[in-house]
Amino acid sequence: MNSSKLRTAPLHLSRALHSSVPTSSRVPRACIVSKWLSSRNFTAAPPLAQESIPLRKHLKDEAKRKKAEAKNNGVVKEGKGDPRLDNWELTVGVEIHAELNTACKLFSNAPTEGSDGVANSRVAPFDAALPGTQPQFQVATLLPALRAAIALDCEVQRKSGWDRKHYFHWDQPNGYQITQYYEPFAKNGTVSLLASDGVPATDLNGADSINIGIKQIQMEQDTAKTTHHPPSTYHVDLNRAGHPLIEVITLPHIHSPQTAAAVVRKIQSVLRGVDACVTGMELGGLRADVNVSVRERGTEGTGSSYSGVSGLGQRTEIKNLSSFKAVEDAIIAERDRQIAVLEAGGVIEGETRGWTLGAKETTRLRGKEGEVDYRYMPDADLPPLVIGSDLVDHVRSTMPELPDETVGRVQKQYGLTVKDAKTIVDLDEGDRLEFMEETAELVTHGLGDQSLDQLKIGKLVGNWILHELGGLLSSNEISWNNMPITPTELADILINLQNKQITGRVAKQLLNGLLEISTSPRPSVDRLIDDGNLRLRPLSEEGYEALATQIMDESPDMVAAVREKGQKGKVMWFVGQMVRRGEEGTVEPEKARQVLERLLGS
Amino acid sequence: MLSARFCWRRASRSLQSTVRHNGTTPILLGALNAAISRYDTSSEALKTIAIKDNIVTKDLPTTAASGILAGYTSPFDATVVKLLRHNGYSIISKTNLDEFGMGSHTKHSAAGPTLNPYSRGGVRLSPGGSSGGSAVEVAAGQSWAALGTDTGGSVRLPAAYTGTVGFKPSYGLLSRWGVIQYANSLDTVGILAKTVRDVRNIFSDLNKYDEQDPTSLPPSIRNRISTNPHHRSSTLRVGIPTEYNITELHPLVRSAYTRTLQHLQSAGHKIAPISLPTTKEALSTYYVLAPAEASSNLAKYDGVRYGQRTRDPDSLPKENLPLYAKTRGEGFGEEVRRRILLGAYTLSSESMDNYFIQAQKVRRLVQRDFDSVFALRNPLLDDHVDRYARDGQGVDVIVTPTAPTLPVTVEEVKQQSSIESYMNDVFTVPASLAGLPAISVPIRLVDEEAADLEETDVRSVGVQILGQFGDDENVLNVARLIEEQQGR
Repeated sequence: MNSSKLRTAPLHLSRALHSSVPTSSRVPRACIVSKWLSSRNFTAAPPLAQESIPLRKHLKDEAKRKKAEAKNNGVVKEGKGDPRLDNWELTVGVEIHAELNTACKLFSNAPTEGSDGVANSRVAPFDAALPGTQPQFQVATLLPALRAAIALDCEVQRKSGWDRKHYFHWDQPNGYQITQYYEPFAKNGTVSLLASDGVPATDLNGADSINIGIKQIQMEQDTAKTTHHPPSTYHVDLNRAGHPLIEVITLPHIHSPQTAAAVVRKIQSVLRGVDACVTGMELGGLRADVNVSVRERGTEGTGSSYSGVSGLGQRTEIKNLSSFKAVEDAIIAERDRQIAVLEAGGVIEGETRGWTLGAKETTRLRGKEGEVDYRYMPDADLPPLVIGSDLVDHVRSTMPELPDETVGRVQKQYGLTVKDAKTIVDLDEGDRLEFMEETAELVTHGLGDQSLDQLKIGKLVGNWILHELGGLLSSNEISWNNMPITPTELADILINLQNKQITGRVAKQLLNGLLEISTSPRPSVDRLIDDGNLRLRPLSEEGYEALATQIMDESPDMVAAVREKGQKGKVMWFVGQMVRRGEEGTVEPEKARQVLERLLGS
Repeated sequence: MLSARFCWRRASRSLQSTVRHNGTTPILLGALNAAISRYDTSSEALKTIAIKDNIVTKDLPTTAASGILAGYTSPFDATVVKLLRHNGYSIISKTNLDEFGMGSHTKHSAAGPTLNPYSRGGVRLSPGGSSGGSAVEVAAGQSWAALGTDTGGSVRLPAAYTGTVGFKPSYGLLSRWGVIQYANSLDTVGILAKTVRDVRNIFSDLNKYDEQDPTSLPPSIRNRISTNPHHRSSTLRVGIPTEYNITELHPLVRSAYTRTLQHLQSAGHKIAPISLPTTKEALSTYYVLAPAEASSNLAKYDGVRYGQRTRDPDSLPKENLPLYAKTRGEGFGEEVRRRILLGAYTLSSESMDNYFIQAQKVRRLVQRDFDSVFALRNPLLDDHVDRYARDGQGVDVIVTPTAPTLPVTVEEVKQQSSIESYMNDVFTVPASLAGLPAISVPIRLVDEEAADLEETDVRSVGVQILGQFGDDENVLNVARLIEEQQGR
């Protein structure tokens, strides 16, 4: 054999791609490549910056932004801000692509995780499209997909099929993507949104919630990952190629940009809640395409239709939106563009458009004439997917609680407000909630007979976790994952507090102290209290009186303010002084107030 | 491409000996170009097997006779290759074919055309295709048997043209894992040998369920096939489709065919005229479906991960083409490019309904035609759908000519248009569309029939036996019967 000509199929393509191939011959001209990449929303560099934004921070920022917006808008609500919106109605349908949480790929047993992210290390022969390979449907991938379908209230189809969707790109090794577009495994679902999900009042029309129809959910393959190594080298990593995705397609039932973003957020939280998907939008695990059209209110638009909904204006599609903000902003920009075109007497072309974060306008990627003809055909290698009702029943009966159900339960069981319940459920992928439930149980147990009722304990624990601990974490810039305090420690603190063994001030100090202790094993909370001499040693009645009298003598003005001007609020100033002046852990604020009120005669 | 030629040159050096074939004709084997690559060690084993070069092997390159796979060596063995090795067969060469199996004369190959050992007027005959290399290796005695692939007749036609036995089993019996796809709903591994008995032995070694091939028939259906109730008497009902009696039938083919039927009749078997009305549409259906699937299956060849790559920045910004348009344009041969374009067209959104969808419907009708004439019910259909089988009226097998004519010479092939070439497949395509077992058995011409033929001519005609899906054993039995009638 002429060995120099012999190229054994390289499974470890990184080597092949890293090898000293003259770049001029392998790499196409930069302009076309960057165009291709940007049309597919590729990052030109490893997307580190984006990946590091934690969900929590993102949600917080979103909330802040919303608040600021609401303030700026004042009474003027979206829909009345722009007078043109009185004449034009927006219609949006969303397509969401999400990575399924599975151990193996859709059609090969290559793992979806592991080997420390070494490029092209998780590639089965089929994933590299080697000659003579065939897909083998991995039944296990069906479970998270079914959880998603059930959580989104879909009808699971007994029989569904696989099509090949053809287009040429180096991230698509077979030259086609295997998808279920024509015969999806789940149809006719619903996602329900509340005002607290971010739906503006104008969309709710006085109702508590709105339902957005889901046309279908289909399974399909993900593509390989391309990274650009400037100036002119591109690396293809097939680890992601063939990873199972689901695509959730909503009906065009959405009429505001805020609701569209809320739908994406809601679907993400449902998918995460039932463990169908783990990676969120911010980590590239979720992408959205939106279909946008406007019609004059009260008209049938241009009579266009899609997903079985007719009487719409001509729609355009904006592809590859990778954050909630991008979804909302892109729709606003596209809506305004379409209205401007139509009001100037123009016509909207059916086309695909792109959006970059921070842009003012969407940009045209390709028109109808440039549309890719995907030449869909059934994949003759894959038999139809048949899903028995017994499997669906089994998955349904073993489903984890849905986020909305969890929020309801947390409100009821622990007496938290909707807002606090929602926050605790959304935070840290459920870890925070788990922490709270464990702590609450320990506290209940620890208080024994003299137990408070569940609601009070729940409120106490919830409050400490969200606000005291939450505040400490953010001021110390510690992430939840790196938080060293255990439920047992927090429970011990709260039990001591509840049993009046320590003051609230001491409890907070203990919490702060525990954050800084890195020794192992850590001393117990009781040990810390004893060592720090922090236990409450209540002053005698005389002690309280002596301290109070001393402070009153030093501040006759304040005494006068209370006694003569009746400024009862000033009593609390005295309480503060007593707590500060008294020896650590000796003055209880409540007791001090009683004594002061008596002495001040108020 | 270079390396394929290199392998060939190197391989042929060890084969410069002449062998005597048919007792009379000295043949320079090297000139036949039947093998693309060969193992260095000349095997003393009795059971040597040649493998068509679109079935992957990890110790020799697999090119599918395409420039785009020049020098490609698979990291794994095809399941059928694994089974052969496991059963003690000795694999000796990778054989030439029409690129990716697309052709009927083994001439569309990056390694150059394969020639038939037989000739007419000093000009070599076409070996048929696309498994021409495998057929010639067997016919010339270079290997005991060979594997080919049959998508629309690619094993049966070369068998008929080289005087060998060529068997295409029911779709799904032999694993396709490691078989390079051409039209994957039709592709079948086939077996070529000198005798039906040899074919049967290899078949039983390869006939195993393979979980790596999603179209491999699962044990449940294999079990249903083996227990398919058939009340066969010792006399057969042999179906003769009237639609196959076409005017283009060569007189010698007609004469050998009728003689075979007469033999069967005189042995007590019943000859029953049957009608397969969709036969006329079958060929055009095949040439819509096969290219459509080919355009999809061959989309993976881009030179990015393996194979030949044109080292030139070839993206055209204005056309918005991807970076490997040139690689594909240069790597594929003319016939492959033709079929990819044809397939891309019939799948395009504006013509899908008129071509691909229609062809799928006709394919169903072809299957229904066969189900309505066989006594045995189709094991793939549920009982309640089985409304065609007629008690006592159905036939056990269908016997037809394999090809309408004797092989033409390679010079004549050059004059043919591609449509004329496609005509060779008219009798073999229906069984492919229905996934049925089919075998071509050579019928030696008797002296008065062969009077006008030279000694160097093939002097045999292929007769094809078709059976109901899964009835492979019976097809092989009847093939053996016909072979025996000729005193072999």
